[in-house]
Amino acid sequence: MTTTRGPLLYARSRALPLTLAALAATAAFAVWAAGRLDAYLDPDRRVPIVALAPLLASAVIGTSLYSASDELDRTAVRPWWPRRLAQLAGLAALAALLVTPAVLGHTENFGPPAVIRNTLGCTGVTAAAAVLLGARLSWLPAFVYVTGVYLGSTTAHGRAATVWAWPMQPGSQPGAWVTALTAFAAGAALYAVRGARPEGPRG
Amino acid sequence: MTLVTEKKAPARAPYPLRTEALRGFAPWAGLAVLLTLGAPLCGKADQWQGDWAETAGQVHTAMLITLPLAAAAGCWQGGRERRRRTEELWGTTVRSPLTRLLVAALPVALWAAVGYLVVVAAALLASWPYVQGDRPHLVLVPGDTVAMAAGALAGHVVGRVVPTRLAAPLLAVAGYVGLGIVTADGSDALRALSPTTESPGGGLPVWWQPWAMAVWTGGLAVAAALAYAARRRATALVPLAAALAAGALLAQTGNGLWHTDPLARRQVCDTSVSPAICVNARYAGMLPQVRDALSGITDKLDGVRNLPVRWADRGSAPRAGEAQLPGITPLGWSTVRGRLTDPAQYAWEAVAALQGYDCPDTSTTDRVLTADDAVENYLAPSPVQKAIDGYDARGDKARRTALRERVAARARLAGMAERERRDWLSAYFAARGDCRAKEVPAL
Repeated sequence: MTTTRGPLLYARSRALPLTLAALAATAAFAVWAAGRLDAYLDPDRRVPIVALAPLLASAVIGTSLYSASDELDRTAVRPWWPRRLAQLAGLAALAALLVTPAVLGHTENFGPPAVIRNTLGCTGVTAAAAVLLGARLSWLPAFVYVTGVYLGSTTAHGRAATVWAWPMQPGSQPGAWVTALTAFAAGAALYAVRGARPEGPRG
Repeated sequence: MTLVTEKKAPARAPYPLRTEALRGFAPWAGLAVLLTLGAPLCGKADQWQGDWAETAGQVHTAMLITLPLAAAAGCWQGGRERRRRTEELWGTTVRSPLTRLLVAALPVALWAAVGYLVVVAAALLASWPYVQGDRPHLVLVPGDTVAMAAGALAGHVVGRVVPTRLAAPLLAVAGYVGLGIVTADGSDALRALSPTTESPGGGLPVWWQPWAMAVWTGGLAVAAALAYAARRRATALVPLAAALAAGALLAQTGNGLWHTDPLARRQVCDTSVSPAICVNARYAGMLPQVRDALSGITDKLDGVRNLPVRWADRGSAPRAGEAQLPGITPLGWSTVRGRLTDPAQYAWEAVAALQGYDCPDTSTTDRVLTADDAVENYLAPSPVQKAIDGYDARGDKARRTALRERVAARARLAGMAERERRDWLSAYFAARGDCRAKEVPAL
């Protein structure tokens, strides 16, 4: 009989195989959708992919932060934060890697940098929401924010817009990068320290 | 003597629907709809405040995100009993499955619709103080409100059926992408079936379109709920049949669902000046401002012949003998909240419209350009003219020479006697109106 090691048990308890499958499906969907958009005519047509693929990936990551055995987890002797941080950072990096092939080229506007930035930013917002609202509903704030910005920022210009409308900025905007990285750092730190909000069977 | 005190009857527990509607997730769903719809509208208030048609168009197209959100909220609520592990407990109660489903689902549907209606009302109120004509466009609101409630109800059924945590976000994103694809490049029939669809040219729907849309979306959602929870599942066929009939009607009519607003073809004119100034009847209140902005031009053109009859604003190309009035729409650029943002720029654009800008390129010789520049500077100089001149003054020799010639021509036109200038301008507009470059008088 083989014994299963800690990390593997942890991965299983967070439904990571399912999460990885969902991330792969997200990436495949993004590639399929990008092919339909005729983006070679105009890179701006990729904006829906650049905004929505990271959003979907972050929703997948967010729901994987749920712990079914929260009370049991809290009795553990080992510190949780390295595992939580590794899980979140690993999934975010993987998601960023997976959604990039959908938008290759055009790095200066809506290409790989923009989609990587959005993946990090959305994951940060979702992780923070998992701490505050619970993992299962963690997708809601990022969804409300990104779709709201998607509809509302068509004419937003200026330095302030690069900060608040960061999901819709070209990849080379430093203001958007700063916001997204701050969101990721804050979300990851919050999640690593606190973990997802305990939900139990209610909620 | 004994005092008889009657015991108060125990207060009856409120009906579960009331508790469900006031507590738990449903009010938050309404708040989410309110914020998702309200925030983008606030962000681009410049583009719709002061125009009833644009206000209605903006809240309608925003259904693209609020409808998937309502479906996701319903889906989340639908998974509640599974998350709480109370499905079996509910199975033991005397209420029918349909009643239980509706008691849980209707509050979210109601709040989603209320959130939408609150934003619509707020947008109309915010637009009201700045409108310049037209009347409120409320015709799409019933269809949109029913679609919001139907989205939440259908989402609830999906949440009951699909046992995964990812169901709600997946439904949201899939709904968003699906509606986006249908709206952007679906066929006419498919577009007519989408609750977010709007007229290609900003027209009005036929009167029955919102009601058919309400039956189409509402019928599908009710059919899904009945098929899932009704004791006699065959009853789902009734709303399904109604929905399919309404859907067939919408799909068959296609682009015929929309017609041009008759008001948009009418104009309001001030004929006391020459050329006369006409603004579209939808912005009749802008006429005094436009007249003031163009008063400098019309004063200087008093007595000049061969001018276009009027500046026209028909929403289509001007007719022969007319010049296009510079655009009041799209809002947010030259006009914001019922005010011209830059009257000087507007006046310059109006002069450019008088100069026959649609002449072929062969007619724009140096002589014509010099005359155009002199006329613009005499009638209404561009606000950036000084910057352009300064740029040319710092340029190479050819640009400096051209600038000197232009400045000299401007001075000659401005220095002419009143009558001489009137004759020159009459000859100029005659030549420019017919694109005859060679007949443009020299300066």
